[in-house]
This record gives sequence, C-alpha cells and structure tokens, in this order.
Amino acid sequence: MTTMIELSGVTKLYGDVIGVNDLTLGLESKAYGLIGPNGSGKTTLINLLIGQLRPTLGQVRVFGVTPSRDRSVLRRIGLCPASDVLYPNVSALDFVQYQVRLHGIDRRECRRLALEALETVGMTSAMKRPMGTYSLGMRQRTKIAQAIAHEPDLLILDEPYNGLDPVGRSEMTSLLKSWAGSGRGLIFASHVLQEIESITSSFLLIFGGRLLAFGSAQDIESMLVDTPQEIRIIGPDAARLIHRLADVDWIESLQLTQGRTELKVSLRDPGQLYSQIAPWIAADGLQIHRVVAADGNLTAIFESLLKHHRGETV
Amino acid sequence: MSSLVMPLDVMWFELRRSLTFGRMAMWIMLIAFPVAIIAVLTFSIEPKSVDSIEQKSVDLEIALQRLGFAVYFLVPEVTCLLGLLLWATPAISTETEGQTWIFLVLRQSGRRMVLLGKYLTAVVWTFSAALVATVLCTLLINQLLIDGEADFHMWYVMAVLSLLSCITHAALYILIGVIFYRRTMAAAVLYTVIIEYGVSFVPALINKFTINYRLRGLLANWMGWDEVRSEAENVFGTEPSWTHLLVLAAITLTLLGVALYRVERTEYPTQQEG
Repeated sequence: MTTMIELSGVTKLYGDVIGVNDLTLGLESKAYGLIGPNGSGKTTLINLLIGQLRPTLGQVRVFGVTPSRDRSVLRRIGLCPASDVLYPNVSALDFVQYQVRLHGIDRRECRRLALEALETVGMTSAMKRPMGTYSLGMRQRTKIAQAIAHEPDLLILDEPYNGLDPVGRSEMTSLLKSWAGSGRGLIFASHVLQEIESITSSFLLIFGGRLLAFGSAQDIESMLVDTPQEIRIIGPDAARLIHRLADVDWIESLQLTQGRTELKVSLRDPGQLYSQIAPWIAADGLQIHRVVAADGNLTAIFESLLKHHRGETV
Repeated sequence: MSSLVMPLDVMWFELRRSLTFGRMAMWIMLIAFPVAIIAVLTFSIEPKSVDSIEQKSVDLEIALQRLGFAVYFLVPEVTCLLGLLLWATPAISTETEGQTWIFLVLRQSGRRMVLLGKYLTAVVWTFSAALVATVLCTLLINQLLIDGEADFHMWYVMAVLSLLSCITHAALYILIGVIFYRRTMAAAVLYTVIIEYGVSFVPALINKFTINYRLRGLLANWMGWDEVRSEAENVFGTEPSWTHLLVLAAITLTLLGVALYRVERTEYPTQQEG
C-alpha cells in the first residue's frame, strides 16, 4: 500500500493556543476514524491535511507532497467540512459544478461529474432547487456530493452524520462502506464512537491536540489494560460498597462524591468489579441505581488514554 | 485555456447568485443617486437671455464644465466607489463569515481564481451601474441645457473614466479585503477618505500616487479643460494622458499581484470547531 498521509512532529499554534501538538504518524490508503471530543484538534488536523493551515513545526505530506505548497494534490482530496453550505439562492447542481470547476476541470466534464455525484447521494430530484429551501439533511448530502464529485483518492469527512435522519444515516453508512471497500482513503472525524465503528475498525484518537492512540479497537483496548480506568457507582447506598472495595488489590483509589451517592472507583481490571459487584449488592441488600463504565463514556476513555500517554500507568 | 476562463466562470456564478432583491435595489440606487442630483442641478440652471452668440457659447461652456465635473464626481468617483465597496471589499470576509471559505480553499485553483473572479464581478457589476448612470446624466444635460444637441463626448469620457475607476479601485479594495478580512469595510472607507479624498488633493508628490489624482488628470485632458487645469494644477495635474494611464495600469497590476500573493498564503479562519 502507498503512504497516504505522513505527519512528522506536526505542531500548530494559534498564538499561545495549541491546535495540535507534536503529531507523528504515517497512514496507508484505507479507512480511518478520527475520534475526539469537540475542541480536541480534529478540524485543525484536517485543515493541515488540506493545506488551509501550515504547521508551526514539523511537516505534513499527503500523497508525497506538502499540500500548503503544492495545491495540485487537492485534486486527490475531497473534504466534507462540518460547517454548513450557506449559498441560499444557488442550486445544488450549480454549487457542485462550481466546486468541481475550481479544480480546473473542463466545463462539460464538471457537469457530468456533478450530476453523477448528486445521483450518488440521492439528490437528483432536488438538485435544481435553491439550497435555501433544503433541509439540513439535504444540505449535508450536497456537501458530500461536492466532496466526491471530482473523484478524489482521499475523502475526509468532518461530522458527516450531522443533521441526518435515521434513513439518511443508513444511506450515508452504506455510501461510506462502499467508499472504504473500494480501497480509497477515508478519514472520518466524529466525536461519536459508534458512528465510526460502523464504517471502520481503525482509529486515530485525538485529545487536547495530541494523538493518544492509533490502531484498531483491540489495539486500543490492549493499551488500556494497564491503565487505571474510572467507573462510577451511583445510588443511595454507594458509600456502603467501600468496605467491600477497600480490601481488594485491583483497586487504585476510591472517591465518594455527590453527597455520598456517587462512588468513583479507579481500577486496573474492570472485569473483576463487574463479576463481583452484583453478588455484593445482593448480599448486602444495597440500593444501587447505575454503574457507569469508562467504555461507555468517551471522555473517560480519553482521560485514561491521556494517563497512558503521560506514562501514568502501572 | 480552461484555467484562463475560470475567473469568468467564477464571475458568472457570483453574478447569478447576486440576483437578489437587495442587490438589485442597491444597483438601482447607485444609478438613481447621481441622476437625481444632476437632474436638480440641470433644472436649476436658468438659461440666460443673451443676445450675442459668443456670450451664449461661453456661458454654455462654463455650465458644461460645472455639470461635467459634477457628473465626474458623482459617477466615476462616488457611484463607482460605493459599488466597489459593496462588491470588492468583502470578497474574502463574506466567504469567511458565511463559512464557505473552506469549500473554496479545498480547490486546486480556489483561492486565486475566486479572487480574480470576484474582482471581475465587482468591476462588471459596478461599471454596469456607472454606465447607465453616465448615459442618463449626459442625456439630462443634453436635453435641458443645449436643446437636444447631442454631446456624446462627455458621455464617452465619463464612461471610460468610470471603467478606469472600477478597474483600479476594485484592485485597491480587493487588496484591502484580503489584508483586513475583519472590519474590512471600515478599513476601506478610512483609506478612501484619508488617501483618495484627502491626500489626493495635497499639493505634494504624494498625491501623484493616488488613483483619483490620475482620474482627474485624465478628465481635464480628455475634456479639454486647460483653463480649469491652469487654475488648479495640483488637483488636475499637468502630465499627459499616457502617463496617467500607465500609472493606473501599474497601480492595478501591483495591487492585484499583492492581493493574489497574500490570498495564497493567508490562513483565514474557517469558522469551524473541533
């Protein structure tokens, strides 16, 4: 496989604020999920990949060239940005055709490519209407159409499910699976893990501008094995579990909060807790409402990975 | 070839999306404003009952000079500058504020071609209004002042000056828009007031670098207002027309060149988060 993206020591500063911090990685041409909470640096990374931003330090190469210097590489990249399309009195056909034309593609060819792309995203029937009359989902599809119309080798999507209804989500998933199946590159940025998992099993986890983890779900799980994870036990009798947990050696720390109704448990082996907590609750006759696991909470995963990144593992 | 006509495609796209009620109303206002003032001025001139043909001719020439300067001030200067302030100055800021800049920078030729296309759009849109305004103004002057005797020379001079004003001022405002993508309009208005309407009247070398000085020089040359010029050389200049044209061309090319260079390298905000 050819190297699609190479980042070496890439840092982007906005004045005193760090957008991304010392990113180094090489990606082959396949599908990746770029996951991170809002403000984590996903969009900064995307803007670096398309040459809109130049790194303060380090080097970005896409298909072997630096996109901020050699813009010809943009012909091979399609981006569906998170921001909305705000040309209210322009039709989707005119908009997509115009976008393709700006790549220097011949006028007639532009029209053919625009028509094909709009058909792919299911916008043929509405493509001549002004975009101001479109629903959020239709504008989202139009954005996808402009991203794929010039037949790029790398498709970058920033929160593509925004505004889509369940049917639209299903169609979008099929489209992205088919794209990923064609062997072309795909980077899919989202803060919702489940959205990405339905398309690809390769992840880039970014938080606070840092690349915390890179690999498959299994790779990330194995990284977390030795990293303390946080589980919250919520209920009026949460405090009464302390005497059970204080004696076991797989617990790192215990913290009682929220008026003694929430117990934060930091531990290395969540499996042990899950297997024993139900018998303890039953034996002691406790009232526990919820057990919130780290893997159901993306922020908690990121916090765990951040600890791993800092070397705070046992 | 395909790339050479791309700014025209951008212009076509921009003109089509500008067909809104607000934009059309503004276009009509730009025409109506100078025409209304010229109409008032023309009607207010009382034809004197003089016996000698020579005296009548002198009076007519003085009136034509005054009205001609009024048309020049209202159309190639005010109408053109207002139109270009609306079109050329916000070339970048409308895209960044409208969150559409990201779509344009994604394209291989996006930045430069869009800027050139927007420059052409500003020139065409403003010049079309200026052209209609000059036609109506000169028709008014012809009809009411000299009893239907057509004076196409004034129309021709004003039309060419309007075109030159649009071409040069659009390049200036495009550059201001590229550099000051925040508070663009304030920067452009401030520049116009201080430099084009302040410095251009300063009797020193510096006024020779302003666009309006060159346009006024061409006005005096082409209208044959030698007497007026001799009374105010600092305002109308003494250089030949080709010097003025050469300087205007140099100013336009320099401003556009710098704008294209800057737009390629500036990291404009894309209004995105994440």
